Amino acid sequence: MNNKQLKAINALPPLRRRQVLSGLAGLAGAAAIGGIPGMAHAAGDNVLRVRANANPSSLDPATGGSGSDHVFLYNIYDTLVDWEPESLAPKAGLAAEWSFPDTTTLVLKLQEGVTFHDGTPFDAEAVKFNLDRNRTAEISNIKRDLASVASVEATDPLTVTITLSAPDTALPLILSDRAGMMVSPTALGNDPEATIERNPVGTGPWSFVSWTDGEKVVCTRFDAHWRDGIPGTDGIEMFIIPEEATGLRAVQSGQVHISYQLSERQKVLVERIPTLGIVSGPTLYIHQLYVNSARGALQDVRVRRALSLAIDREAFVAATQANVGEAAYMNLPKAHWAYSEAAAKLTTFDLEQARALLEEAGYADGLELDLRGYPDQGSVQRQEVLLAQWNKIGVRGRFQNAPIAENSGRFFGEEKQGDLLLSAWTGRPDPSLTYSLLYSAESFYNPGRVTPPEGFEAAIQASRESSDQDDRKAALDEVQQMVMKAQLSIPLSVRYEVDAITSNVQGFNANLLGKPKFSDVTLG
Amino acid sequence: MLNTVQRKMLTRRLLQAIPVLLLATFSVFMLLKLLPGDVAITLAGENATVERIEEIRRLKGLDQPLIVQYGQWVWGAVQGDLSESLLSGEPVATTLARVFPNTLFIVLYAVTLSVLIGVPLGILAASRSGGFSDKLVMVLSSVGVALPNFWIAMIFVVVFALNRSWFPATGFVSPFENPLEALWYATLPAVALAASGMAEVARQLRSSLVETLHSQHFRTLHAKGLPFRSILWKHGLRNVSVNLLTVISLLINRTLAATVVVEIVFAIPGMGNTIVNATLQRDFPVVQGAVLVMVVTVITVNLITDVLYSILDPRIAQR
Repeated sequence: MNNKQLKAINALPPLRRRQVLSGLAGLAGAAAIGGIPGMAHAAGDNVLRVRANANPSSLDPATGGSGSDHVFLYNIYDTLVDWEPESLAPKAGLAAEWSFPDTTTLVLKLQEGVTFHDGTPFDAEAVKFNLDRNRTAEISNIKRDLASVASVEATDPLTVTITLSAPDTALPLILSDRAGMMVSPTALGNDPEATIERNPVGTGPWSFVSWTDGEKVVCTRFDAHWRDGIPGTDGIEMFIIPEEATGLRAVQSGQVHISYQLSERQKVLVERIPTLGIVSGPTLYIHQLYVNSARGALQDVRVRRALSLAIDREAFVAATQANVGEAAYMNLPKAHWAYSEAAAKLTTFDLEQARALLEEAGYADGLELDLRGYPDQGSVQRQEVLLAQWNKIGVRGRFQNAPIAENSGRFFGEEKQGDLLLSAWTGRPDPSLTYSLLYSAESFYNPGRVTPPEGFEAAIQASRESSDQDDRKAALDEVQQMVMKAQLSIPLSVRYEVDAITSNVQGFNANLLGKPKFSDVTLG
Repeated sequence: MLNTVQRKMLTRRLLQAIPVLLLATFSVFMLLKLLPGDVAITLAGENATVERIEEIRRLKGLDQPLIVQYGQWVWGAVQGDLSESLLSGEPVATTLARVFPNTLFIVLYAVTLSVLIGVPLGILAASRSGGFSDKLVMVLSSVGVALPNFWIAMIFVVVFALNRSWFPATGFVSPFENPLEALWYATLPAVALAASGMAEVARQLRSSLVETLHSQHFRTLHAKGLPFRSILWKHGLRNVSVNLLTVISLLINRTLAATVVVEIVFAIPGMGNTIVNATLQRDFPVVQGAVLVMVVTVITVNLITDVLYSILDPRIAQR
């Protein structure tokens, strides 16, 4: 080592504890000062920021597959028919009115002066293009929704005549879902097989700006929207944050204005945060056990009934949803227009009867079941409560858990693994769809592909023949009682919407579908 | 810049990387295919019918033999085409080009913090071996190693984001968009990730430095009358630099993996989040692409480490 190097080294400060500590303190101070001025809050612009819980599967209503897409789609697309938020009864949307001149003809009268975001006029031809695309194109995931449509005619620029192959008064509500979301034919180049999954163009309150996968979807106000004063904000940004606790922190820190579909258990947490409000209410989302009635002991209706009767649903809601929710005795919540009191009575908690039924079926000593479920915390808690309740009638089992894609594939797909799957039904706008999708012999969600009770198809069909809501309710009553008597599924509890909002959010309400709409929201 | 020996070593390492890449992507591909669950069911949507699921399998080429599917993927990847996400339709290369820099930024930030804080602490502990500072540093680093980083992350969010509003609770800003804001957003996740890193650096550096300082060679330096600080700064640190480099390269690779949980806690659109979501939904082109990038990154870090070894200690390149 030469002298120069030696000098340089000796010139270095001797290392003392005080210096190291003061250096660390300096670093921390610099970091803190760097952090203070920005303040992690949503900026004061008139843009609504929302935490969404999943990346959309597609922004083209015909090709998407996930129930969580609607919250994004409603921003960009209007539907032909809308619904009342509290009861889901149909009301005017892009179709100002509709009628059934006879049981197999539906006539839609369209709103005047509606245009798509790209300037294309919205008229009967556009409706015909969309409905034909949704029911026949190879890319369409929703062909089944429109299976009853035989042909669509544009009678005049504002009138569409839909001819049905069989009576189907469920169609107006089906048109409030994906099948009724109108896409600009120009944006598709008038080609029904084309898709606009990543560059959607509709007539909705906001027009699309950008979609960064797994991060955010940005839309800006569509000034020419046909409803006055809609939307209530200049833009909407949907931040995709799947993790629930992170979603709550995002609204707590003010980075977003709304965080929807939090778990019921988080309601207590939100209530403790003084800067946040809560929007809550029933939804169509029902936690339930799917039953493979083609397997082993479950082929016997007495066993299926016993499993259902042994569940104390009130206790189940208290234990698994912190009492935020309601017991589900059928596939619809109490607030729904087609809720059936008679069907609900069939599954009241009755341990004695459950034991008697099991004994009658030859399982007096109990029964071992092959149970399937999902590994998240909420699911595991529901499983524990169920096992504890079934234990009282000697029903045992262990839940084999795997992610949703894996276990639902095994259970509903070709493998047909498991007797029961603890999962949920997310609901459909028209209840007749719920019943036909859950219980029809060839339906994917009927894991055993078992034939439903005699008269089921006829009763479903009857519910689609009248456009009078009371008549429809009566027909659906019959369907619901039939499937609950046969216990083809075991409903457990209704999930409640739990949304945390910041204090400046106004005009945001829960709806029974459980898929929030933001067009009326304003920022105070 | 590099001499012949070093260049030879570099070529050898690069050639060795090819089978590693093939083996890694092939195993991941097969593991994904062995897992039950079918992306076609997810794609078919809520009103799935058995026929529609079949139709989707056919449309997406999922009905082809596995080896053909893998072959097609490799053939595309060699030509720079990483295919498209089965779920969102976005080209995988676009997704990765967006999320990888985010993860890399946080990893480098965390590793820099680990080194900047861990090295002085390690030196302090070693120079006061057995004393109070040494014990304090060792206790702190034991705690740092023992605490899971997601827990630290959540505590930081509660204290520094929700209570004090010094830092954002969630989200991320790209360093290409706004470097200062990017640093601000990345600080909490990086500090959470760095906690175990700095502890590890401090511990490793301390133990190798103590060992070196107690060797006969250093006793001689001491006997020759060299001041302690020059023994420490000049001779001691040079001797442990290879060890330190090993720790840092391992740290980079490990932090890369640790981002998975931290990205979820902070809702950061990075590689971890992307891999977890794609795996859960069996979106195998995205998983394959992401694994490829991760493997290439690890190989690159190892390669750079090898080159730096050979510069710090030329004997290594000849082995």
